[in-house]
Amino acid sequence: MTDVSNKIREEAGKLLEKGEVDVIIGFEKGSIPLSATPCFIRNEADIEKLIWNEYCGNNLSLYLSKARGKIGIIAKGCDTRAIVELIKEKQVQRERIVIIGVPCEGMLDRKRIMIRCQSRNITGIEDQGRQLLITGDSLNVAVEKDEFFYPACQVCANRNPVMCDVFIGNTIEEQKTDEFTDVTDFNEKPSEERWAYITDEIDRCIRCYACRNACPLCYCKECFVDATQPQWVGKTIEQSDTLSFHIMRSIHLAGRCIECGACERACPVMVDIRKLNRKMSADVKNMFGYKTGLDIDQPAPLSVFKPDDSEEFILDI
Amino acid sequence: MGNKETSWEPKIIAFLCNWCSYAGADLAGVGRMQYPANVRVIRVPCSGRISPFFILSSLQNGADGVLVSGCHPGDCHYLTGNYSARRKFALLKSQLEHIGIEKERVQFTWVSASEGGKFAEVINRVTETVKALGPAKRLVKKCL
Amino acid sequence: MSSTRITGAVLVVGGGIGGIQSSLDLAESGFKVYLVEKSPAIGGTMPQLDKTFPTNDCSMCILSPKLVECGRHLNIEILTNAELKGISGKPGNFKAVIEQKPRYVAMDKCTGCGDCAEKCPVKLPDLFNKGLSQRKAIFRLFEQAYPPTFAIEKEACLECGICARHCAAEAIDFEMEPNTLEINIGSIILSPGFEEFDAGLIANYGYGIFKNVITSIEFERILSASGPYQGQLLRPSDMKPPQRIAWIQCVGSRDIHKVNNNYCSAVCCTYAIKEAVVAKEHSSTDLNTTIFYIDIRTYGKGFENYYERAKEEHGVRFVKSEIHRIYRDENENLILRFSENNKIKEEEFDLVVLSVGVTQSEANQELAKTLGIQLNQHGFCRVEDFSPVSTSRAGIFTAGVFSEPKDIPETVMAASAAAGEASGILAAARHTLARDKEYPQEKNIIGEKPRIGIFICHCGINIGSVVDISAVKDYAATLQNVVFVEDSLFTCSQDSQQKIKERIEEHNLNRVVVAACTPRTHEPLFQETLRETGLNKYLFEMANIRDQCSWVHQGQPEKATEKAKDLIRMSVAKAKLIEPLFQTNLEVNHSALVVGGGISGMVSALTVARQGFKVHVIEKSSRFGGIANNIYSTIEGFDVQVYLKELIDEVSNNPLIHLYTEAEILDVSGYVGNFKTRLVIGAGKEEKEITHGVVVIASGGDIYKPNEYLYGNNPNVFSLIELEGEIAKKNNLISTSRNIVLIQCIGSRDDERSYCSRTCCSKAVKLSLELKKLNPDVNIYVLYRDIRTYGFKEQYYLEAREKGVLFIPYDVSDKPEVEAISKEGKDFIKVTVNDLILNESFSIDADILALATAIIPSPDSKKLAGLFKVPLDENGFFMEAHIKLRPVDFPTEGVFVCGLAHSPKLITESIIQAKAAASRACIILSRDKIESGATVSTINKDKCSGCGMCMELCPFIAIEIDGEDNTATVNEALCKGCGVCASSCRCGAVDIMGFTNNEIYSMIKNGAFGVLE
Repeated sequence: MTDVSNKIREEAGKLLEKGEVDVIIGFEKGSIPLSATPCFIRNEADIEKLIWNEYCGNNLSLYLSKARGKIGIIAKGCDTRAIVELIKEKQVQRERIVIIGVPCEGMLDRKRIMIRCQSRNITGIEDQGRQLLITGDSLNVAVEKDEFFYPACQVCANRNPVMCDVFIGNTIEEQKTDEFTDVTDFNEKPSEERWAYITDEIDRCIRCYACRNACPLCYCKECFVDATQPQWVGKTIEQSDTLSFHIMRSIHLAGRCIECGACERACPVMVDIRKLNRKMSADVKNMFGYKTGLDIDQPAPLSVFKPDDSEEFILDI
Repeated sequence: MGNKETSWEPKIIAFLCNWCSYAGADLAGVGRMQYPANVRVIRVPCSGRISPFFILSSLQNGADGVLVSGCHPGDCHYLTGNYSARRKFALLKSQLEHIGIEKERVQFTWVSASEGGKFAEVINRVTETVKALGPAKRLVKKCL
Repeated sequence: MSSTRITGAVLVVGGGIGGIQSSLDLAESGFKVYLVEKSPAIGGTMPQLDKTFPTNDCSMCILSPKLVECGRHLNIEILTNAELKGISGKPGNFKAVIEQKPRYVAMDKCTGCGDCAEKCPVKLPDLFNKGLSQRKAIFRLFEQAYPPTFAIEKEACLECGICARHCAAEAIDFEMEPNTLEINIGSIILSPGFEEFDAGLIANYGYGIFKNVITSIEFERILSASGPYQGQLLRPSDMKPPQRIAWIQCVGSRDIHKVNNNYCSAVCCTYAIKEAVVAKEHSSTDLNTTIFYIDIRTYGKGFENYYERAKEEHGVRFVKSEIHRIYRDENENLILRFSENNKIKEEEFDLVVLSVGVTQSEANQELAKTLGIQLNQHGFCRVEDFSPVSTSRAGIFTAGVFSEPKDIPETVMAASAAAGEASGILAAARHTLARDKEYPQEKNIIGEKPRIGIFICHCGINIGSVVDISAVKDYAATLQNVVFVEDSLFTCSQDSQQKIKERIEEHNLNRVVVAACTPRTHEPLFQETLRETGLNKYLFEMANIRDQCSWVHQGQPEKATEKAKDLIRMSVAKAKLIEPLFQTNLEVNHSALVVGGGISGMVSALTVARQGFKVHVIEKSSRFGGIANNIYSTIEGFDVQVYLKELIDEVSNNPLIHLYTEAEILDVSGYVGNFKTRLVIGAGKEEKEITHGVVVIASGGDIYKPNEYLYGNNPNVFSLIELEGEIAKKNNLISTSRNIVLIQCIGSRDDERSYCSRTCCSKAVKLSLELKKLNPDVNIYVLYRDIRTYGFKEQYYLEAREKGVLFIPYDVSDKPEVEAISKEGKDFIKVTVNDLILNESFSIDADILALATAIIPSPDSKKLAGLFKVPLDENGFFMEAHIKLRPVDFPTEGVFVCGLAHSPKLITESIIQAKAAASRACIILSRDKIESGATVSTINKDKCSGCGMCMELCPFIAIEIDGEDNTATVNEALCKGCGVCASSCRCGAVDIMGFTNNEIYSMIKNGAFGVLE
């Protein structure tokens, strides 16, 4: 990790020095344990702030449209997948960004680790490779990393950058995980059970829209939940409204969600939002043969069609 | 309650494209083909006009069933509107099923301007299946 | 100015659909029209028909908007009760004398209320209902008639004055005198229609004596909801529903024995099928319907499928047998003797419908005499193959059945063609006598609170007999923003339009909702009414309470009433939100592009050029003429090659026509009035861009190349068109042949191509006659399924049979078989066929086998359809906007179709359609500006993120992403308003005017729940 951090600083420094970029978007150390925070580096002097570790979960592509000038961005597999879609959707101009790609073996879920630590004050963390030894006030636990990667990371099929200008580190082996068995398993449950699970999750939603705000692909100037003419989805926390919000969001992300898990990371009440998004990913792959975020030249599945697209769902009389 | 159940009639919202299905529905009328009076038709230019919001909103507002019907693939008055609609509908229907909405509540079909008989049959079938499901409970707003 | 010598006005004789179409086309392209009709109202035969084949559209319903459009057109002067009595002058400057009989009711006073007829004591047979019901001496022809004014039949009137006493408008005037008018016109179009054959002339059928033997037109009236039995299927003798109905075909047609008519009436087969299907729909029991026929002639576009569906889906029974006599029993049932499956049978029926043919009345023949125009041997107006809408007198044209039996679309085409011909000779005087319609200044209602008026239609008994209109009316009045509700018997009639206008004024309405039939047919009519009051026409909404309510819930009046309330509530919910929409004016480029250099293309080009507009004709091959290059004569004996040469010369020498050969279209952009087409031309692949205002697609068809019947594997097997070439070459093989076999329907009327190729039967007959001429001793066998020599082509079929050509019917499930054999050193083709009539199989050793191969769509059709964004039908031919009333238009404005590109047809028919397409195209070319659609896409730039989804999905390439601010922009002239963009925009930045998200949401809320607000 230290190696990677150093290499990032070196490359980012070069870019700034040569004036090839005006700003570097990367991570700096978080203010609390087990965290890292997105940062914007404009001066070479600040380059040392940049870090790389297993807490760099945020999808930095979110900030691309917000920064001005030419941008260097530190990008994991998922960040690059988002960039691919954003370029396709004309939200980011390829020539305006320099992608510093970094392979990623998964990011750790601070929230669950904290639960494991019973939310006690942490004073020491020792990284032992596959384990973290965490100490603090009457706290001494060993955390198996494998158990605490984010759910999205656990099924990530593209941990290497899919597109970059500068590559840092070594290519890592990809997980064979994109069979969507989780979706299939869930679908096999009876409708009542699925409904019960989904509503249980959704009922926790407090409609803070953190999921939407964290999502790199949710860039509408006005989200449909805020629109009034018409107000398609009510603003109450009644189940029907909340669920409709999440259904529509998943529909809007169909064929666009790059499964970075930002929504879930952002959710303060840990709603299983990905249950809906994963379904759409599985469908666009199975129905239209489309994998999101991989190919800048492949048109989005909902912007094209084939005359012989599946008709299975059509009522045939 | 039992008595109420038997007299209950589902309310179904149908979105019909102007050029094929709406014309097909008119033709069913011209042919005096009889079908149940549960459907409320909303005319739209093309099945391609139909946004997932229309369907979701119908369910939220108390429709027991939703029917969407357009021109047969390849016959769209607007050339390809129904093709792009088909992809959208496929995903929406799949998602609704996924989260546990009874899959028969939302139906899609193609009815051409000459298929009055088919239109009547579609309405018969959809009304029958929605009736069998009973009143919609999931996703219906409680306070409007 | 040359126009001082030419009169920019046309006289149209006959107010049926043909006359109406000619009048509208002419009036729309800048000419003044006098429409003369001898009855008290325009409409002709269509109002009497119940449905129209092959779509089963309600005849009156599709006609009614045209009646009103014609009636209210500023440049059409309708003269009813009037007859043309004489003409003088010459083309460009005729003077016509017209006699108008008094109607004894003042047109400017009568409100059409009907109080007079209610009180009139005189009852007489209602001829509109063919005497199956009665009417009064003061009457209106039919409810939706234009003009809506009543009229008195003087011969029956007692002059008791009761009507006058009850007429609040004081419109009755017994003193009215006949009126003689003299009008100046430049040209005349004759479309006086036809008379049904008088079935009483065939004594064996007992028509007029047996109560339950009726004619097809009487049956149409019985089926009609506005007919004598209110649409109930009953038979006249006992007013009971019949269980068994028989149709007898060819009554008065194809009959040289009982009556001397040697032509086919061309429409009876398909109308009988329609009547059988519709009767079955009307019947509550499993009605037995049987059609007795000689040949089923379903040759028109979509007809063969209609026939197949009647057989397979509806279970209509078809029996190929002539009926010589009808017997009646004591219960007024009818007994028919016929042969089926080679057995003589006797069967009883409750009702027999005689499919009567069409003839020309003495009055029409008298008209011809008056005008000095020639009739043909059948008593119809004489026209020639290559000038099929021109009478024998210059400047006088004809449309419709006056020149040959034909159906509605062909009549409409001929009417447009005749209008085009008249426009051609009067082009210099365009816009000299016609005026532009002026509408009152549009009221600004923006910001006003909605004041909604609701007009509920009874549609005679169509709605009122099921839906409780008064309950609906009461309910509608309670809806928010509704300030006025009224019901009427026919909201679509001309007098109702007047009433709506008055109500708009009185109640200061700023939104109108009509609850009636269906917006598909009637929206434009009501919108025009709104415009005439100064309301923006988009402030209108319609609730479909007939086609989708009363008609389909007949047995559940309560539920139908509830549904009608819901539908009106939903319409009101939308009406509240609708805003005025504005069309933009687009400049028109006054030149045409014609795609295809065959006869259709060249005729179109000439028709356009004669009207004074520039034309570009592009032909993909190196030679003009298309398929006609291989056709040598028409069945009537006209020389196609001579005509073709003249046509090519004329087109080549016309300075307004530009020809391009070996031309291929690269791409097309633009829209009506402003198209841009890029081509590569010639061997050098030179690129060229043409700008044009309209397009006529005349890209032709192709001939099917069979794999069956040794075709391509045997030198003596030809297609019919190849055989025609051999005949022209006088191939020796013909003069030495002993047996020649022709097999019909190769590649037509089968599973792959379900349509009839229309031309092959006539061609087979023509070639047989020519073969006989070359070699009188040759035996000719035509193996057929039905011989479809419709219209006057029938006489050649008769001639061929007289000359000994053998016509042998075969069954499609037992097709003829062929085999190449050698006998005594000579090669033959052994043809084995099972004769359907004799039910025996035999073989012919044929020297020549000719195959009637199908006409198939051109391989370019698909590409052209994509380029011009127009649809194809299921067979791959271009699909017109409406099969009956818009046969050369596309839904895409400014694009027209004709010839084989549309469907298989004969040269004469292609010429008519080509002239019609050109004539319709010239309506656009004759204008300086046209209005674009208003129901288009609109972008809210504040919400648009510029993702490009709408742009990528737009079927019409109407959306671009603006580089400057990365937002979408719609080209309103290209946008057709489908709404794919709006439904796909995640950001909610796109909406469709007239179908906005807000409007639809409001309808959903009001439709999904019982009662809101």
